[in-house]
Amino acid sequence: MNSPLTLTPLFHLGPVPVTTPVAVTWVIMLVLGVAFYLATRRLQRIPSTAQAILETVVSAIDSQIAETMQADPARYRALIGTIFLYVLAANWTSLIPGVEPPTAHIETDAALALIVFFATIVYGIRALGLLGYLKTFAEPSWVMIPLNLVEQISRNFSLMVRLFGNVMSGVFIIGIILSLAGLLVPIPLMALDILTGAVQAYIFAILACVFIGAAISETAPSRKISSPNTSH
Amino acid sequence: MHIDWWTLCLQAINVLVLVWILSRFFFKPVAAIVAERRAAIAQALEDARKARVQAEAEQEKAQQAAAAIAASHADVLKKAELEAKAETDAILGSARAAADKLREAAAADIARKRQSDAAALADQASRLAADIAGKLLSRLPDESRITGFVPGLAQGLSELPETVRRGVGAHGAPLRLKAARALTEAETEACHTELSKALGRPVDILVEVAPELIAGLEIDMPHAVVRNNFRADLARIAAALIAPGAKQPELPQSGQEAR
Repeated sequence: MNSPLTLTPLFHLGPVPVTTPVAVTWVIMLVLGVAFYLATRRLQRIPSTAQAILETVVSAIDSQIAETMQADPARYRALIGTIFLYVLAANWTSLIPGVEPPTAHIETDAALALIVFFATIVYGIRALGLLGYLKTFAEPSWVMIPLNLVEQISRNFSLMVRLFGNVMSGVFIIGIILSLAGLLVPIPLMALDILTGAVQAYIFAILACVFIGAAISETAPSRKISSPNTSH
Repeated sequence: MHIDWWTLCLQAINVLVLVWILSRFFFKPVAAIVAERRAAIAQALEDARKARVQAEAEQEKAQQAAAAIAASHADVLKKAELEAKAETDAILGSARAAADKLREAAAADIARKRQSDAAALADQASRLAADIAGKLLSRLPDESRITGFVPGLAQGLSELPETVRRGVGAHGAPLRLKAARALTEAETEACHTELSKALGRPVDILVEVAPELIAGLEIDMPHAVVRNNFRADLARIAAALIAPGAKQPELPQSGQEAR
């Protein structure tokens, strides 16, 4: 088993090496895109069972966004919903034998954290204006500016490391137990990974909501964020 | 720790592409259909609210109409009741008037009947009394049917008005004297004497026998009658008895009657 800390290119597209997480992500994108395209081709006012499930998912995401950000969820639905569904799908790929979840590699988690980081800035400036957004770093006092800047980076870093650590550790444990005990022993841990994957996806999405919600509000981010305990 | 920056960049691009894909093929269509359904539900609720408002207005209108009908009904009932009462009063009044009239007529009939009965009874009684008196007198001496009545007759004659008395026996016409039986000469003389004394001049008398007098005498003149006999007394008593509120009649000594 390869170390999750190292990546071996599967093939190259010109100078660009294509690694396993990228390939798996493409597969996930393809599967999700095709599945949702097929599922939403004939939406009707009186929903079928599949449509009802899809509507329930969207309604649940909207509800979480509205409760967390206290804002209209339509503007943030695509980003937050996609992060949640992608992380969930990526985490659950660990159930497929021979497939490593992309979120078990730090590059994927870092990409997600970077997206959240820039989304926070973009949404904050869009909501408050550049000056208004920058002013939030000086609250409650200008003395807090360095701490708020560090916090902006550190909380995204922790977002990345949290997801990476949880998923990578799950993969490691299953790999170790599989190599030591046999074929069927890791099954309970794999079942646990289903729950862990869902929880991590939920936490990542909710924290993204919290960060963006703090950015679009007029008070200092540090006074509004109350991160849940996310240790695994 | 080594980070593959190519992978990081590709994954970031992948996630952004996935954001676009899911937004295009999942979130927007589903949110649109949910919003459409909510709008339809809101429209249906609004329609239902309007229908309810309209139904409430119709119900209120119907209640007002019902109240108006009830009021009109009450008015009609009251009016009909008043009319019925007036008609009842009128009918009762006319019935009462008719009953009063009938009662009065019946009372008049009863009074008339009673009067006629009383008259018949009095007549019958007088006849009976006459029979009784006749039978009783038949036991008395015969002169008692004449002698005791002469002074009374003379007094009655003397109490006549002067103008009447002056015409009695004028121009030599005899005074018609009715007696219950034929008079003896002595009785005729006594009558002649007493009557002449009452008139203050001599007068001739013409005696006629009238048994219906039972006992006593009667002077029959063109303009007056002087009676002093049982028949006249009985008739007077009967008339007094028949008369309403009659007291016990007194037996008169004699009586005059103008014609």
